[in-house]
Amino acid sequence: MEVRPEIQIRAMIKAMVDVVLPAVDPEQKMAQEQARLVIGTLGLIASRLPVAYRFDRDQLDRYVSLSRELVALDKADEGGGQAISKLESLAERGTDVLSRARAEPSELESTVFELRAEVSSLLQSLHKSSSPEKWNKVNRLILDASKMEIDRERALVVAMGFEPKPGSIPPIESLLPQVNA
Amino acid sequence: MTAVDKNRPSPEWIESLRRRYPCEKEMDRVFTRKLQRRAGPGYSPVSLQTLCDSLQTLLKTQLDSTFEIREPRWLTGGASKIQMAFKLDWNQPGGGRSLTPMVVRMEPAESIVETSRLREYQIIKGVSEILPVPPVFWIDEDGKYFPYPAIVYGFAEGVTKPSGGVANVSGIGLNFGPALRKPLGKQYVEHLAKLHTWDWSRADLSSLDVPALGTQAIEWHLNWWERVWEEDSNIDIPLLRLAALWLRDNMPSINRISLIHGDYRAGNFLFTEHDQRISAWLDWELGYLGDFHSDVAYTTLPYLSHYSEDGSTLLASGLMPVEELYEAYEKASGLTINQKTIDYYHIFQAYRSGVIIIASSYRPVRNGKTHQDILLTWIMGAGYASMGYLRDKLEEVA
Repeated sequence: MEVRPEIQIRAMIKAMVDVVLPAVDPEQKMAQEQARLVIGTLGLIASRLPVAYRFDRDQLDRYVSLSRELVALDKADEGGGQAISKLESLAERGTDVLSRARAEPSELESTVFELRAEVSSLLQSLHKSSSPEKWNKVNRLILDASKMEIDRERALVVAMGFEPKPGSIPPIESLLPQVNA
Repeated sequence: MTAVDKNRPSPEWIESLRRRYPCEKEMDRVFTRKLQRRAGPGYSPVSLQTLCDSLQTLLKTQLDSTFEIREPRWLTGGASKIQMAFKLDWNQPGGGRSLTPMVVRMEPAESIVETSRLREYQIIKGVSEILPVPPVFWIDEDGKYFPYPAIVYGFAEGVTKPSGGVANVSGIGLNFGPALRKPLGKQYVEHLAKLHTWDWSRADLSSLDVPALGTQAIEWHLNWWERVWEEDSNIDIPLLRLAALWLRDNMPSINRISLIHGDYRAGNFLFTEHDQRISAWLDWELGYLGDFHSDVAYTTLPYLSHYSEDGSTLLASGLMPVEELYEAYEKASGLTINQKTIDYYHIFQAYRSGVIIIASSYRPVRNGKTHQDILLTWIMGAGYASMGYLRDKLEEVA
């Protein structure tokens, strides 16, 4: 999927700087100021997006540590009452979430990138070397995998208005694995 | 995030692509130039004044008598080129002192489709014998006068969509409404038939290589688009690789060579609302010599179509049911449509759409190369409907 925030934000900033801002009436001070703020905010989002996940994970890690220290401190006289047991339980949940949130989004992205390239490269080799039967099986695998991929991609961008029958596209949430909120 | 740095292509990599995907001489020049310039600066806004100054310099080399450029203004429409309308006060050859509305169409630093202004110029000059097209006046093939290569057209009257009509960007899914479909549809098919049966051999089309009968035209064309995929793509798409292999294995042979428009669809012609006539065919930059099935298949792609008001019939390019279009085309052209070849070109066109919409939209935006990067990121959204169609068609023929 190439329609990603990184490239979209880059294009939005360029449109604002090159086209929109120069066309905003200099006498409309509020419009001028807000156009510049939109550019600044988009720039901030673009620069912070790559670290947003790491920031949240680090934050969770620090709060889990703080909670454990508070729980340990209170063990002596148990003055925290119910709040301590709730905090202890949440700290355990936080530890579990952290243990499952190890890879960076950039690692996910780059590994998908490399796998896609390698699958494509292998296809070219197999096309040369495979028997017709084996090639048919390869074809089947790629077509089936592509269906799952394209269904999700179409669902992700259906609001852009390019589908002849948008009502036939299921919501993206229904195609992705369920997660605990 | 790739072993080859496509944003800063090395001379060795460029040469390897040229060897691997031999295509027409002019297209090879265009693609090579694109890659050689890719690491250069992005697109910076060009003012109307700059364009007028460039035009002035060009016209001084072309006109002997006095002239004046009047009323310059921007034109929107299209995703690939920058357009300025103006009026030229000049001594028109054979027409005396005239005030002629014209359009400058200039490339950005890198476009969603990198093409040749010379080919565009020659094709329009040629087909003006048989089809309504805007007159072409001058060309700046290498950006000698303008910041980038440019062409100067006469301004063509008409609209791409009816007043109050509905379409997404670039005319995709354009709905003409029931009243206009019949008159426009009839001309639409007749013009396509005229184009494909035209004897192009008498025209100056020196920037187009003439393929041999057989499979050379489609082989060059596959090289064209596979090369563009290699040059522009970011993430790989195994389905597109599978499609390219299938297309190589199943190339149909031809026994006649037609001039192909290359982007024959709603949104690429103008019509005048008062008399419902197609007044000009636009966007000839993807033209080439090849199989007429290519244009016929393209114009019947479902993702360039929409459903009729009752939701039951898919209207090719928003104009008529697909089967009706085939029938009318055969009647108008005297050519016989081979359904198997149409299937082939449906797959080819869906493959080409994937290359253009996904890869060649991404790369210029990644490097800030156009005047409307934001539009290109929007157009990228259309790529996935075409991928869905491509996948289903490949399953049919697998």
